[in-house]
Amino acid sequence: MEEKAIVVHDLVKQYPRVMAVDNVSFNVDKGEIFGLLGPNGAGKTTTIRVLLTLIKPTSGETLIYNLDTAKNSEEVRRMCGYVPQDVSADGDLTAYENVLISSKLYGMPAKERKTRIPEVLNFLELTDRANDMVNTFSGGMMRRLEIAQALVNRPRVLFLDEPSIGLDPNARRIIWGLIKKLRDEFNTTIMMTTHDMGEADVLCDRIGIMNRGHLATLGKPSELKSTVGGDIITINSSNPNCYQKVKDLGYSTITNSPDGHCDLVVSNGETLIPHLLDSLKMSGVQVESVSLKKPTLDDVFLKYTGARIEEGDTFTETRRARRSFTRRTK
Amino acid sequence: MRALKAIRKYFSNALIIAELELRKIRHDQTQIWVRMVQPALWLAIYGLTMSKLGMNTFIPAGLTYLQFMTPGVLAQSALFVAIFFGINVVWERDLGLLNKLLSTPASRSAIILGKALSAGVRGIFQAIAVIILALILRVHLIMNPLSIIGVFFIIILVSMCFSCVSMAIASLVKTRERMMGFGQVMTMPLFFASSAIYPLSTMPTWIKPIAYINPLTYVVEAMRDLLATGNLHTLPLDCLVIAAATVLFLVLASLGLKRMIS
Repeated sequence: MEEKAIVVHDLVKQYPRVMAVDNVSFNVDKGEIFGLLGPNGAGKTTTIRVLLTLIKPTSGETLIYNLDTAKNSEEVRRMCGYVPQDVSADGDLTAYENVLISSKLYGMPAKERKTRIPEVLNFLELTDRANDMVNTFSGGMMRRLEIAQALVNRPRVLFLDEPSIGLDPNARRIIWGLIKKLRDEFNTTIMMTTHDMGEADVLCDRIGIMNRGHLATLGKPSELKSTVGGDIITINSSNPNCYQKVKDLGYSTITNSPDGHCDLVVSNGETLIPHLLDSLKMSGVQVESVSLKKPTLDDVFLKYTGARIEEGDTFTETRRARRSFTRRTK
Repeated sequence: MRALKAIRKYFSNALIIAELELRKIRHDQTQIWVRMVQPALWLAIYGLTMSKLGMNTFIPAGLTYLQFMTPGVLAQSALFVAIFFGINVVWERDLGLLNKLLSTPASRSAIILGKALSAGVRGIFQAIAVIILALILRVHLIMNPLSIIGVFFIIILVSMCFSCVSMAIASLVKTRERMMGFGQVMTMPLFFASSAIYPLSTMPTWIKPIAYINPLTYVVEAMRDLLATGNLHTLPLDCLVIAAATVLFLVLASLGLKRMIS
């Protein structure tokens, strides 16, 4: 059997009041970009923290390159790089110093540091700002610096927790380019979490969708999208019977939407819309707006969890995301 | 051999963490200068006033009140800074820096030890300021190199000890505001229930037992022997007590670090 980069087997993490991760199993191949998707509080970060030996699982086994993370915590940490969701570059130091301290903590000999630090700063296009204080950096630069810190050690597995959260579209695109380059040039295994479906679609080879601690589904983005079946038509109406009427007409709906709003899956949306509108009008439903969407991962998510991705944020998670956003954009 | 290597790695990681903190101080030295103000006030205003009020007569044989009090101010200045050290750790936890530190191969207690060491070095800067001020005030101190080195050593230990106390508390209270409160609540009792500004013999009887279990008392006594009396009989015992307290709180703070991130 080929050695896997990451193995998660029946992982359970129980907190006093919540089941953060509930019996999750998956593998990640070497050189793969694997994405864990889900709303805030789905258990993505907890899973990563268990893999990084930051917290102990309640039960289950996790392996990184065949090393049990519970038993070989130091070796595991030595192999991994981690870019947490929160801002983790130290603002009171220069960019160079941030990378220097990281390289030292990973036990890199002085001789190697001399070549490796400039190299990694160059890779992340931070060379000209190397000696500037980090608290003068923009959010995108800070993110790049954090990735530099994680990369200086040449990790075999890189964990990225929400790598583009709070970044503007341009900075986001730069980070995406970097993540791809990293895998293509160095064959680094990358495991990332995100709640941005577009990001997962662009970057990940395979995706696991998590919801309330469970792994709802797992597969390639294209496979997952094909499971949604086809185009999605969203109808908005002031008529509370809309949902029932659409169902009576024999269309397959996805959600138990609130009154007057419904999503239905069809195979050929463009040609179907006129007929649908006629049928609805005849049964006395006044349609206010209608939209057509080709399948995206967002719909996959909708199908497997029955909720849109924005729903289900806990108060603390929302506050944290906002706070980190404000910090990055300052 | 393997154990030796592990120990070396442990201390080198602690030194790297300390280096991280010291580099921060180098970029922003304001805090060092500001922190010199308080001990200066104690010595120059409180100390001089008390001398004039005739405190000299209560002091054990041969010492002036300022001689008696300078080691007390040294200990107090280290205590006051170290006891709030936990706020930094809470802050780093909130920022996410702590999570990243913990994901490196460095062990938890190496991280705590490193941070404690950096608190020790901060303490040194203040100690230098207090000693210089004392000399300006013409306080007669024993200024041979060995006693100065001894004083620095004890300042580092006491700063480490109380910064570990502070980090251990931080792991329980977890917010900066509460940490401020706890710091305030702890400084004065520790300070007053020690021999920093008056001799143990003048204390009400009921405080004495507290003074005897207060590590600060031993710190003050050790430095007083080194700088003022020159009588080093009890120095080894004092050092032992301080070192034992430091190790104890280092262990507690290391255990607490796990609670900090969950």
